[in-house]
Amino acid sequence: MNEFINTPSTFKFISSRQFIILGILSFFFLFAIFISISIGSFKISIIDYFLGNLSQIQNKVLLNIRTPRVILAGLVGASLSLSGACLQGLFRNPLADPGLIGVSSGAALGAALTIVIGSEIIPNFMLATYILPLAAITGAAFVILMLFIFTKGFGVQSTIYMLLVGIAVNAFAGVGIGILTYISSESELRSLTFWTMGSFGGITWSLIFPAIIITTVVLFWTLRISRKLDLLQLGELEAHRLGVNIKKLRFNIIISSAIMVGISVSLSGMIGFVGLVVPHLVRLLGGVNHNYTLIGSIFAGASLMIFADLLSRILIEPAELPVGLITSALGSPFFLWLIFKMRTE
Amino acid sequence: MSIIIDSISFSIGDIKILKKISLEFNAGELLTILGPNGSGKSSLLKVLSGDFIPTNGEVSFNNTPLKNISIEKRAEIRSVMSQSQRVMYDFSAKEIIEMGWIENEISDESSFKNALNIVSKDCEIDHLLNRSINNLSGGEQRRVHFARTLIQLWNKPNDKNSRYIFLDEPTANLDLYHEINLIKILKRKVAEGFGVFLILHDLNLAFKFSSRVAFLKDGKLVCIGSPLEVFDEKLLSDIYGISISVDKKFKRVTYY
Repeated sequence: MNEFINTPSTFKFISSRQFIILGILSFFFLFAIFISISIGSFKISIIDYFLGNLSQIQNKVLLNIRTPRVILAGLVGASLSLSGACLQGLFRNPLADPGLIGVSSGAALGAALTIVIGSEIIPNFMLATYILPLAAITGAAFVILMLFIFTKGFGVQSTIYMLLVGIAVNAFAGVGIGILTYISSESELRSLTFWTMGSFGGITWSLIFPAIIITTVVLFWTLRISRKLDLLQLGELEAHRLGVNIKKLRFNIIISSAIMVGISVSLSGMIGFVGLVVPHLVRLLGGVNHNYTLIGSIFAGASLMIFADLLSRILIEPAELPVGLITSALGSPFFLWLIFKMRTE
Repeated sequence: MSIIIDSISFSIGDIKILKKISLEFNAGELLTILGPNGSGKSSLLKVLSGDFIPTNGEVSFNNTPLKNISIEKRAEIRSVMSQSQRVMYDFSAKEIIEMGWIENEISDESSFKNALNIVSKDCEIDHLLNRSINNLSGGEQRRVHFARTLIQLWNKPNDKNSRYIFLDEPTANLDLYHEINLIKILKRKVAEGFGVFLILHDLNLAFKFSSRVAFLKDGKLVCIGSPLEVFDEKLLSDIYGISISVDKKFKRVTYY
């Protein structure tokens, strides 16, 4: 008798081991929220909030500053990680990270262009809440389509082209955003550091409310394709023979990744390496099937981003580090290790 | 119930890969396709699978044109085993077989376990299920993919249409024992009413186990018929360009 038939598996195509790991990750996620809300330049205890022991100003900081910030960090972490996992599945390549291959840059350039061109015509409240994310989503989708063409349909042997396109797009977007930030007035465009290194500061409920709804819908929508992503790992031909409509699947992933990356970038700038590192960690923990990796990436990505934001707030108190500095500092050695590992294999 | 291939032509650019091929292939028979390299065997299989759309002609399954059958429905009536697969990421052998379990809407896990149990015993891979597919030997990988091909047609669809298995050189990389084992499993499937469409290079295997054989050369169908009818010394020698002797009594050919 083999091991599989003896162990009771608790969920369709998720092993009992993976189920336990997902449980631990979701617990870790709640723990991250709890810690991150409590700690900061202003000490607030959530327990005191529920007991009604907080002063009015503590209440304000908790509800209007810290909670939306933690929620945004979680949302962005989950979105970037999930889109990373999806793109890695679509490209059949573990190096496909929205930052590395230029998707985030495309989104940032789209958003920055819109601010400079559109700030004259579009009413301010519309701009930040609706037009900006839309422009970022368009920019992201445009870059994924370009990658599709350059890699001849996401072919397996295309790692080099994928990364080269990423370098080119990143450089181009860097120039674009740089010029835009210097020619436009401070009020029009957020700072260069915001776009290139990311930040969760200064967020308000009215800004993130639509994002919360859209991202949550897209997260659930994306989870439905996990099994098709598994089949895609056999190759497009095989997946097609197993009943997967490849064109539809590609379209789904391009749209959902563009939405997730676009919204993330328009609200918090470019935050690198999360989409690369998180799906990898999740795979290392418990396996490669997408039913597990996609859900795991959501929880792990959200928790890690919340902790990264916490670090960015407390490391040089009372000032703040850009959160992208922290994720890149942790992520780039990991990237090197990954390349080293691929080389030795 | 049958698959009808009606004067299929297929070209890539200016190169004509298949030239007006017509044949009928019945459920409950094992049809082996033979021919030299580049004769169009794999292309014919890809046209049948719906991967290639023929330039001319039409394929129909059980009287329905293939182009009118949805991608999802096709997966219920035919399964395909390719010449080679490369799997990204370290899926376990068990997960690879699971990928063939296409009726995942039915969340009945015990029926899957039951199918997995039988298939992995048949293909003798039950000791490999928890290993990573990329750490298995070539032959072991082939057996895992063969198991996946079998499990894809495990659940009968509601209609009574016949179902088909297409295999492109499934015995490549297999040792003698597993080669014969695979053919025996296929023969059993044929007895259960499946149509098996098999591409081989081994003339002796084809001679012994096929219901019918078809020879392709330069994209054309040279002949089709029962092995005893078709295996003719002059014909085979012409097709392959070496002298081949045929022993009809023991169903054997020798060519060196």
